[in-house]
Amino acid sequence: MSTFIARRFAFALVTLWAVLTLVFFIVRVVPGDPAQVILGEQATADAIAAMRTRLGLDRPLGVQYIEFLWGAVRGDWGVSLVTGRPVVQEVLAVLPWTIELTLAALVIGAAAGIPLGVWAAVNRNRATDYVIRLASLLGLSFPAFVSGILLLIFFAIQLRWAPVMSTQGGSFSAWLGALALPAINLGLIMAAYITRVTRSAMLEVLGEDYVRTARAKGVPWRAVVWRHALRNALIPIITIVGLYLGVLIGNSVLTEIVFNRPGLGKLIVGALNQRDYTLLQGMMVIYTFVVIIVNLLTDLAYGAADPRVKLK
Amino acid sequence: MGWWKAAALAAAIMLVPAAASAQQTTLRIGIASADAGVLDPHLNSTTPGRGFLQHIFSGLVRLRPGELSPENMEPDLAERWESSADGLTWTFHLRRGAQCHHGFGEFTAEDAVFSLRRAATRETSAFSSDYTAFDSVEAVDSHTVRITLKNNMPSLLGVVMNYAGGFMVCKAAVEQMGNEGFRRRPVGTGPFAFAEYVPQQFGRLAAHEGYFRGRPQIREIMFRFVPSDAARDLAFQAGELDMIYGRQDQNWFTRTRALPNVRVVAMQPAEMSVIHLNMTMPPLNDIRVRQAIAHALNRDQVVQLRGRDTSVAAESVVPRGYQGHAPMPLPPHDIARARALLAEAGHPNGITIRSIHTTLTGMMTVMEAAQAQLRRAGITLEITPVEHATFHQQIRQNLSQVVHFQAARFPVADIYLTQFFHSRSIVQTPTAVTNFSHCRVADAQIDAARSETDAARRNALWREAQERIVAEVCGIPVYEQLQLWAYRDSIELGYELRAALNLAPPILHTTRFTR
Repeated sequence: MSTFIARRFAFALVTLWAVLTLVFFIVRVVPGDPAQVILGEQATADAIAAMRTRLGLDRPLGVQYIEFLWGAVRGDWGVSLVTGRPVVQEVLAVLPWTIELTLAALVIGAAAGIPLGVWAAVNRNRATDYVIRLASLLGLSFPAFVSGILLLIFFAIQLRWAPVMSTQGGSFSAWLGALALPAINLGLIMAAYITRVTRSAMLEVLGEDYVRTARAKGVPWRAVVWRHALRNALIPIITIVGLYLGVLIGNSVLTEIVFNRPGLGKLIVGALNQRDYTLLQGMMVIYTFVVIIVNLLTDLAYGAADPRVKLK
Repeated sequence: MGWWKAAALAAAIMLVPAAASAQQTTLRIGIASADAGVLDPHLNSTTPGRGFLQHIFSGLVRLRPGELSPENMEPDLAERWESSADGLTWTFHLRRGAQCHHGFGEFTAEDAVFSLRRAATRETSAFSSDYTAFDSVEAVDSHTVRITLKNNMPSLLGVVMNYAGGFMVCKAAVEQMGNEGFRRRPVGTGPFAFAEYVPQQFGRLAAHEGYFRGRPQIREIMFRFVPSDAARDLAFQAGELDMIYGRQDQNWFTRTRALPNVRVVAMQPAEMSVIHLNMTMPPLNDIRVRQAIAHALNRDQVVQLRGRDTSVAAESVVPRGYQGHAPMPLPPHDIARARALLAEAGHPNGITIRSIHTTLTGMMTVMEAAQAQLRRAGITLEITPVEHATFHQQIRQNLSQVVHFQAARFPVADIYLTQFFHSRSIVQTPTAVTNFSHCRVADAQIDAARSETDAARRNALWREAQERIVAEVCGIPVYEQLQLWAYRDSIELGYELRAALNLAPPILHTTRFTR
């Protein structure tokens, strides 16, 4: 196990370096000038050139790259070109928001998606199955900003159960109220994914010989489904959850915008719009790191879910 | 009725007046942006940034709140001022006792000199080009500032007012924190002091107890950054915001005006939409082609599209309300005339022109309407949509034949004419600003107007400049988009909101909630 983790960390370092290098060059290839964005549309060409010098953007690309890598090794991600605040501070300020939203969406997604998927599979080609499949299709195809607005109109405007905008601090109930709607909005998409994967994985497992044997031995149907079949169907479910968790962090931007929540997704979009190179680089590192960790945890979860899987 | 019910009723009756008398003192404003940008008044020229920073900083003078015309200038940090007969020396007498926020002491002439020199330095200011006419700025004594100009400028008060480079910073604060630190904790002398800034969420300002005009009645302003139009509207409806920046369209205006206890304002300065034609690129180097395009456009149709309450048709290359604006007949919509001009120019089968354009919805809608209108005259307008920052870079690289630009500036004709139509501002030159058309037909008039001290003669020169630009069709002015805001009618601003140069209603020390 420890060899496995050490090897994965070595791979992670190489991946991080590759991502950093790619991000460093890609953001500079994309048209758009941070100096122009900072100074606005009335700035003269001279003033823009002076700002580029001040930001260090007029130096050779190689020098900037080496300086950036050296800073990264020392844990110094520089300061945001636009706000002047340290990148680490900017990212850490929004990271808890992203983590809590992602985890809450994951919990909602798994709590709704797994039972629904199982239910659809055991009722294959019956009305229940069709309804669940249709619902999951709707969940997948409904844009997050539309479902977000609908949730807000119903729960925040009509019923007044939750605030429209998320706020910092406050009581536990205020925090929960502010988290509930965005988490449901994102969780519904997650639930739709998980439902479909669980259903197909369960259908495959339910056709296996050992399921028939268990039934023939007189094991109650409920036990067959939940104890024998589901456990064996968990591997693809864990895979999709692991993969989707990374995507979820990026995809949460629409939910963050509609519910006015801070978060990594929104920060990335803002940094891209403003061509804030240093902030983008810092966030990419965090994002890559999170995806790597999630993948590692997913691999470890395989072993926990299925003892036949050995991690070497 | 049981005794406990009677007691509860009595308690409720007693509590009602107490609750009613508790006035709201925190103002919550929703801004259409995820961030306010750099919190340095000399660097930030964004709409959300200016709306936020205008409360922290004062100018030597200020525009009377709610007004736009430079004739409505009134004292701010300077209680009076005078200029020499030739207009080249200006002396400002500062009021005594004006305090910088956070204990940085009294604002003196030394601060004013420091601030103006900072605003005139290109390394520290985005507005340095506004100060090229400055020869020197000096402190005559602790409360007197003298500005000497190299040549006359029509808008001297415009560059020392509470706007852009004219925002006065406190010297001790900048020196103590450095420019980088100052960007994170700006210090001025305005009615509200910087308190807190949480990126993507809010900026908080607290009442400045030592404000020279008096203690602000609003104790705190929360600027919530809400980029989603729908979320901002919903938060306003839910009572989570008291004032919001509106979506720039007629539907929003009509819908929001129908809400109870809400005031909706369409205010100046309008952002004027101009289609600039690059006169150095064929076929636009032929004036007949440019005239054909001007005749093919239908201004009234565009205004109908944008909304009658929220926009007006342009009537010159300088927007309404600007000092020096001269209304004049623009080429009327005439498809037959447009086709005839094209044929005369050797393009009987029409032409194809290209435009790099921002993906911003409001601007794109207008450009798509123009595209459809031009097609009727045989002009194919190919639009390449690019993201906004890319748009700004590429149009400055002279890559677009046609540039659709929408802007508001300090309301003096000189600024608009210089930035958009003077040869000094032609893109891809060291002094470039936003002259995308390479227009140079009115340089002499613009320059002469700037150094002219007689107001009537100056206005005549500005009129002549506008006529020449219109005749040469450097750009086609299309419409003016007003700024839309909504706020609860329980807010008494303390002035009539007709305009706000910083594009957001200023909150004064007298602004208050009436209930």
